[in-house]
Amino acid sequence: MNCEVCQLKELEVEHFEIREVLRCILHTIVFHRALGLVRPKDVDLELFEITYVQCGDSELEKKIDEKIEQFISWVEKHPNKKSQICLSFYEVKNKQPSWFSSKIERLHWEQWYINLNVSQQARAHSSKSHHAKVVVDPGEGTLEERSVRRAALEASLREVLFQIIKFVNEKKDHVPPIPNREGVVSFPYEITIPSSSDSAFGMDMFKRMLHHSGNPGMLS
Amino acid sequence: MASSHGNSHSEAAKSEQIITEFFAKGLQIILESRSPYMSSRNYSGEQALSSPSSSSSSSSSVRPRDKWFNLALRECPAALENIDLWRQSNLEPMVVDVILVQSPLESDQVNFSPKKDHFRNLSLKERYPFCSNSDQEEFGFEGKSEKIIERWVVQYESRKIRDGSSSGSRRSSNTSLHMFYKKSVLLLRSLYVTVRLLPAYKIYRELNSSGKILPFSLAHRVSSFVEPFTRREEAELQRFGFTPVDTPCGRLCLSVFYCSSLSDVSSEPSTPMSPQVIHDYVGSPLADPLKRFPSLPVTGSASHGSPSSSPFVRRHSWSYDIYRASPPSASYSPSPTHSEAQALISNPGSRRFPPGSLPPHPPETSLVHKKDTSFDEYCPSPIFSLSPSPSPSPSPPIRIPGSQLSKAFLRSESAPVNIPAAKLANSPTLSNKQNVPPSPPLKTTRSSTSRTDKNVGLIQTGTASDKSFSLLKEENRQYSGLKISSNSSPRISFSRSSSRSFPDDLDDSEFACPFDVDYDDVTNPSSRTESFERKEPLCEPLDFPIRKSQEAAVGALVQMLRKAPPLCQDFSNSVSLLPASRPETWSKSIQEPDQTSEGLAPVQHVASSSVMSSGLSMPKTTADALEELQGYRVMKNLLLKQGGKSHI
Repeated sequence: MNCEVCQLKELEVEHFEIREVLRCILHTIVFHRALGLVRPKDVDLELFEITYVQCGDSELEKKIDEKIEQFISWVEKHPNKKSQICLSFYEVKNKQPSWFSSKIERLHWEQWYINLNVSQQARAHSSKSHHAKVVVDPGEGTLEERSVRRAALEASLREVLFQIIKFVNEKKDHVPPIPNREGVVSFPYEITIPSSSDSAFGMDMFKRMLHHSGNPGMLS
Repeated sequence: MASSHGNSHSEAAKSEQIITEFFAKGLQIILESRSPYMSSRNYSGEQALSSPSSSSSSSSSVRPRDKWFNLALRECPAALENIDLWRQSNLEPMVVDVILVQSPLESDQVNFSPKKDHFRNLSLKERYPFCSNSDQEEFGFEGKSEKIIERWVVQYESRKIRDGSSSGSRRSSNTSLHMFYKKSVLLLRSLYVTVRLLPAYKIYRELNSSGKILPFSLAHRVSSFVEPFTRREEAELQRFGFTPVDTPCGRLCLSVFYCSSLSDVSSEPSTPMSPQVIHDYVGSPLADPLKRFPSLPVTGSASHGSPSSSPFVRRHSWSYDIYRASPPSASYSPSPTHSEAQALISNPGSRRFPPGSLPPHPPETSLVHKKDTSFDEYCPSPIFSLSPSPSPSPSPPIRIPGSQLSKAFLRSESAPVNIPAAKLANSPTLSNKQNVPPSPPLKTTRSSTSRTDKNVGLIQTGTASDKSFSLLKEENRQYSGLKISSNSSPRISFSRSSSRSFPDDLDDSEFACPFDVDYDDVTNPSSRTESFERKEPLCEPLDFPIRKSQEAAVGALVQMLRKAPPLCQDFSNSVSLLPASRPETWSKSIQEPDQTSEGLAPVQHVASSSVMSSGLSMPKTTADALEELQGYRVMKNLLLKQGGKSHI
């Protein structure tokens, strides 16, 4: 099975925007891959005039939020770095037991790379308060600049969402058949963030290298 | 999976069923997020929550429908209705036009609100028809404009060649049926997301957000043929084509033409609305004064931090009732309650003591002044009066100016007045001077008051008000206490007004302090009362030394007097009268919250008229204010000195 890869357009975000941006993107992707019976849930972003769709699965929501938190703390430790988050979907195949320990193999059939460039300026102050749900940033720079920047980011985010839609539209053949099972999120998935890749060994890492040798940002 | 004709037939039937359901689902997805009345009716509040409850709770038809494409949607009657029509049309293309209906934009805000009401009524009445085909025509108000902002085209293209020649591909057609279904699921997912990303969704959201009545609406039209766009329309539209989905014997196409510049469209009609949102702030009596001195808000925040400015703003946004319940900000709050209350009190008050002073005023003055005021303070007033907001009075246009004026009047009567009154008694010439044109009506009133009251002025004022208002004991105490306190510690009132208008002088720590204290007092009436009560004995003696003392003080006072009224008017410094009025307001609001406005309205008129006749000052310029400030400064120093001495 071939693995389709989608590199999403890089977004330049400020620290306090990470959470919303990531939520929006991750949920939008998963919604397209949650082929079980879904009751869509519209979510309006607070920072942008964008409505995205969740598939209303609390487990998923939790997992995504967790990953985002991890990512944010990674960003705080590695300021001003371009960073990547990978959302991948796989199938589980029971493999013949072999010398390579694991019995279960993950066959990735799709990977989404979300590219973020967290601008540093905002980091200093927003890191203090990153526990707040959405931090309204006390801005450096004039209001006008900020609103221009914000508008630009909103447009880019919209672009990314359309990129997802287009990708989903163009590439349908590689998506495995809809499994006949309960649950909203029909395919197993994983979200990889830089911090976990820092320490990760084994198949996960190996696979990623195989698939994306051209992605130094991920491994840096 | 034995090959049989029947099997292939059933496959074709299945395929056709999927297609049919795809059309239905697609239509539902589109209309669900484009037909505001239907969905707002059923789901407005639920949007934030998960929709399941609504869809599962509604009708029996929901369940099986939800299972299609594994997408459970909200009930959308508009879609159901249309899809039933479409089902009979034998897989014809389905064209869904989303139409923006705009009621004409009126530059004249006054006409606007009734129109809107009309609009709303209509739309409420005609919800149902509105959501079916072409019913936007029934929206019968003149001048509305319609514009197609989205056109969704769902189309099935069958390949008849393939249809017949399928024996070898039976197995693959079976799998392709699965593929087809899966792909259509995916297509519908992305349709669902896309519908929310297109500009029209913003309009839908605006329309759907509760409580807003907008001069535009969305309609839709479902048909099976494409009505060609005009060239102009075409130029504005962009196309987004979803990748067609192959079916066993054809393909499903979905595309949308959408107006990408819709932000302009929606912002255009919403422009008239934005004042509506803001007007609460702008039009309200107290916000406006702020406007007059642009430096004010800055001042407040700079010198005092948030306390002065932020509560101010917030109070505005509070609902009437809440506002009422919160005793605090009587003097600062822009809420109509206060002005009304003041009007109430001012009315008897003004009749009582300054009646003599009324005649001397040349009518023109007051008229002119009235004009000025209304112009200055109420330019946004048309909006204000139209506001659907909780503004209490049913007769806003009249009321506002009236109350405003009366408020100003009261203010002038209050704190600053008392001191001058004493002074003036000593220097009649000066008081005469004050009747001179440049310093308009209020002075006259004041001086006349002072004349009447003579030395006893202060006390008399207090008692007069006691009687006329028949306030509770507490209130009396409060009233007199406040009054005296304002005399004794003019710092407070003066510093307040001056500091407000002139940021630079606020650097004075002395000034800032009383100012802040005053605010605190204002916010807590009971404490205020107490504190003033405590002050009472202390204060009274204070006042007289001042009066008796130097000529300089008199001069300063005169100066202050000359300039004071407008300032007071602007900044609502009436310490003395307000507290008295406040309790009344409260009790009123508590006892008969609903009637308050009606009950007060007539009084307001009276009050306003009396105020008008007594007249008011001209609007101030910054230069005036500066001058004034200097006067106040002198005063302050003097008084401080005096106070210090007398204390010693």
